[in-house]
Amino acid sequence: MMYWVRHITAYAYDQPVDLAAHLLHLKPRALPGQRVIHARIRCQPAPDHATETHDHFGNAATRIFIAAPHQHFEVTAEALVEVNFAPPPQPEATLPWDVVADQAQRGCDEATEYLHASAHAPALAEAAEFARPCFPPGRPVLAALLHLNERIATEFRFQAGVTSISTPVEEVLRLRRGVCQDFTHLMIAALRGLGLPARYMSGYIRTRPLPGQERRRGADQSHAWVGAWLGERDGWVGLDPTNGIVVRDEHVVIAWGRDFADISPLRGVILGGGAHHLSVSVDLEPAEGG
Amino acid sequence: MDEMVDGAGRIRPHWRNLLGAVGGLGKPQLEERARRLQRAAEEEGIASILPGTKAAGMGWRCDPVPLPMPAAEFATLEAGLAQRARLLEAVLADLYGPQTLLRLGLLPPMLVYGNPQFLRASRRANAPAPNPLLQLYAAEMLRGPDGQWRVMSDRAGLVSGMGHAMENRRLMGQAMPEAFRAAKPRGLSIFFELWQDSLQRLGPQRAGAPAVALLSPGTADPHWFEHVVLSREISAALVEPGDLTVRGGALFLKTLQGLQPIDVLLSRVEANTLDPLEFPEADAAGGVPGVLDAARHGALALVNAPGADLAESPALAAFLPALCEHLLGESLLLESLPTLWLGSPGAMAQVLAAGEPILIRPAMDGAAPGEVYTPAMAPRLEAAPGAWCATWLPTASVAPCFSGTALAPLPLALRLFAVSDDTGWHAMPGGLARVLDGTAPMAGRLPRSGWCKDVWVLAEEEALPIIGPAAQQLPPIAIRRNSGAIPSRVADNLYWLGRYVERLDRAARLIRATLTRLRRGAPLPREIAEVAALARCLREAGLIDAEALPGGGSTTALAAALAHAARPEGAVGQLQARIANLTETVRDRLTDDMHATFNLSLRAARAAGETAGTGLESLSRAMVANLRFATAVAGVASENMVRGGGRLFLELGRRLERSQAVLAEIGLVLDQPPARIEAGLRLVLELCDSVITYRSRYLAVLQPTPVLDLVLADPSNPRGLAFQISAIQAALAEVSGLTEDPLVDEAGALSRDAEALVQSILASPEQAVAAAMLPPQLSEMADRLGGLSDGVTRRYFAMLPVARSLGLDGPVAVPAEVLPT
Repeated sequence: MMYWVRHITAYAYDQPVDLAAHLLHLKPRALPGQRVIHARIRCQPAPDHATETHDHFGNAATRIFIAAPHQHFEVTAEALVEVNFAPPPQPEATLPWDVVADQAQRGCDEATEYLHASAHAPALAEAAEFARPCFPPGRPVLAALLHLNERIATEFRFQAGVTSISTPVEEVLRLRRGVCQDFTHLMIAALRGLGLPARYMSGYIRTRPLPGQERRRGADQSHAWVGAWLGERDGWVGLDPTNGIVVRDEHVVIAWGRDFADISPLRGVILGGGAHHLSVSVDLEPAEGG
Repeated sequence: MDEMVDGAGRIRPHWRNLLGAVGGLGKPQLEERARRLQRAAEEEGIASILPGTKAAGMGWRCDPVPLPMPAAEFATLEAGLAQRARLLEAVLADLYGPQTLLRLGLLPPMLVYGNPQFLRASRRANAPAPNPLLQLYAAEMLRGPDGQWRVMSDRAGLVSGMGHAMENRRLMGQAMPEAFRAAKPRGLSIFFELWQDSLQRLGPQRAGAPAVALLSPGTADPHWFEHVVLSREISAALVEPGDLTVRGGALFLKTLQGLQPIDVLLSRVEANTLDPLEFPEADAAGGVPGVLDAARHGALALVNAPGADLAESPALAAFLPALCEHLLGESLLLESLPTLWLGSPGAMAQVLAAGEPILIRPAMDGAAPGEVYTPAMAPRLEAAPGAWCATWLPTASVAPCFSGTALAPLPLALRLFAVSDDTGWHAMPGGLARVLDGTAPMAGRLPRSGWCKDVWVLAEEEALPIIGPAAQQLPPIAIRRNSGAIPSRVADNLYWLGRYVERLDRAARLIRATLTRLRRGAPLPREIAEVAALARCLREAGLIDAEALPGGGSTTALAAALAHAARPEGAVGQLQARIANLTETVRDRLTDDMHATFNLSLRAARAAGETAGTGLESLSRAMVANLRFATAVAGVASENMVRGGGRLFLELGRRLERSQAVLAEIGLVLDQPPARIEAGLRLVLELCDSVITYRSRYLAVLQPTPVLDLVLADPSNPRGLAFQISAIQAALAEVSGLTEDPLVDEAGALSRDAEALVQSILASPEQAVAAAMLPPQLSEMADRLGGLSDGVTRRYFAMLPVARSLGLDGPVAVPAEVLPT
């Protein structure tokens, strides 16, 4: 599938901001299965200085610096992306999960990085216990992962507004509700607790209007899901616990990291500004010829 | 082993000269020297803590007996130190670059990926590691019974202790001159010159010397004093995060003259708080947003590179021999103490079976002091073996240490330092030997306080000429006669230091004047009125509460309130504490003599307040001690501070404070019926220290106009208003350098208005009545001076607002109803 993505983030400040620095993770990553045909970031007011690098994880990181006083700040990230991730292996044909955990523990593959607790996905016994019924000894890893993915999608209620990024995983477990990043952090914490590498994927998902309704502009959202490791032979698979599905051709990957904090789409440090109002609009549309 | 005595009970040759000199002193003299060292350290050195600061009573003690080291032994250690620094630099270059060490299995990935000191912001995929990575390195070592020094801790992040070594050397030179002459230790200054030179070489080679700054968290940091002495020694500007800003991808210092570029930054701020843009959990106000990106793109040399702390991980020691073979193709010269990472197979069993003392440390936290293993710790270690490492402790070598009354052999930990330039690593010919007296932490960061020895590297018998690196050809420095770049923060602190010193002076004068009257047993009615007026002034100045105002002829509450105010927790004590803190913040602007003058006289004033009790006479003496302090500051400022720049802000603060106080006091004292104006006038003269001048001019006849002329309009009276305002005007004109400046004009207008005020009384038929009408006009004038103070703040210090973080919210949601089908 070919998609046209437009992601607009706008801040309005009550008072002028004298100096601002922002770190953006808004350019989709080029990957096997994801071709980035075009990607650009524009910002208003125009920055005095901007740099573009790859971060430790290999994601594109854009930094912009604005020294002129401003009361409005807007970033528009646009990209044309073709996605078609390879289908995952047959679940029953994947390695036993305990073998995968053992490989990760001993291994020197980059997967070992995603074994360790991080700020938003801390080591939490309750998270591992929640997942354990899906992981009897010897069960093929993907079968177990799909089971856990499905369980989170069905046992947790999607509800915006009850959690924020600072809501800890144990609170999400207790509430049994939350949004995509809550479920993602929960699943990551659970998998790491079992000794399986798991990473945080940031990006977008294709949405469809309800039957009989028009597609609303800007109504899409940033999305988050889990990258799970199947061992040295099969590598990584994308699992979306919010929707209980495997990532194939309806997700666009921007970046990955240990958790949200590594790759938040836009954050910054400002001088002045007073109170601020944030508005975000995302459009992900199938492009012509896709 | 014993550092001083060999196995056969003979004094080792390199101790002989030193011991001869120390022994020649005799015990009473040695005691005196130890006291002298301690006193000097308290007054001007590392231990120096001003009254009122949090760390009171702590500090470092320098032993009068140094640790001598033969030239050949030092040369061996230097070679080992240099190799170790090269090795750690190569390890860091790999881990912050291609990470082949992990792929080859030479280092467990957990010690990197699970290591909080591995700063991902310092690494870019498919790019080389930051350069420079290590510029400064230290190792702390113990010497075992076999005579080998082995490394217990590597320091690669915030490398502390060089300032202590430098200060010890200076103090020892003063306290133990005979030992110096006898042992002839190698000097340290060439090392610091080399370091300064190598820092400058890191900057861009363009016209003018590169600007080097030392970044300190500020006066609350346990090593603040070291930052002050090091910045001075290597001619670096001492700055705090709030002084810096990134513009256009480069780093700048905010100064009174605008933004000045910084090329090289020696950071003593924890790496993960350095840049709030990179570290979302860091306090946005405590760092410099964008500084890492400036370093990443080569606009700034930042040392040691953020993330270099990774090399301090204690567990790394277990892998260094193999890493040294792999990376350098050499065997490790300076070994570590035997260390095992408990995540390695079988390591835990070795710890459980061991009989020797073992130091247990977190595997990835080089800052932790560690604790000696006991079986009770086993469950904690077995629960997460990968988080721990074990170091076998030898019986550390001992050297004679002077406890204050006797010499006793105590174990030592030796810390040596090295810096790199483009020719390689160079060790400081000296160091810091910590006395492990049972209370000192074994390993980890240099503590805030302790007992230490200076390390004397002895010159070769056949003195070889010392060959330093070729001096760098830097363009000649242009002579500057102005004040240079003063950070806005420093100017702000000097301004407030001036204000608080004056406020203290004023408080002491008011309290003393009140006490003088209270001490007279049977006061005259005039004195009762004066005490009432003084009490109003005390209340206005916030020195006493309303309940303490005299009522019904009783002054008991007033006397008690004054006694309370004089105590350290009272109003005067709080002023002293504020002054102590501000003095610390501007310490790099004061010479050692100036600092000692401030410090000693403030300490004396503090002590007098502490012991004054409630006796009126002793309270009076305590106030005199405060006045002496204020006089000492004024003397130092006028005699020792370079004209212009910083001194002007001290002057501005002082003069503005005094002018507002004069106005407030005259207003309060005159605010009574015209019939009692004479008593008020007498008090006005006393508070403005103008009694003698008045008497010599007008004899004893008190009349309103001459009194008010003297205290308000006479520009030659240094405690009068006109003098303050013209001093303010002059200082403002000098600071601004503009021909037309509204702040200077306003000061001029205030000066003319004060003159006009006195003239209006003179023109009035009834002087006393006219004088009694003054207070509202005086109060308006005080408001205008407040406006002037705001103007100064806005113009010169407004560059110091604080930053905050934004956008730490997550992605919101995908509504469940619109899922892909």
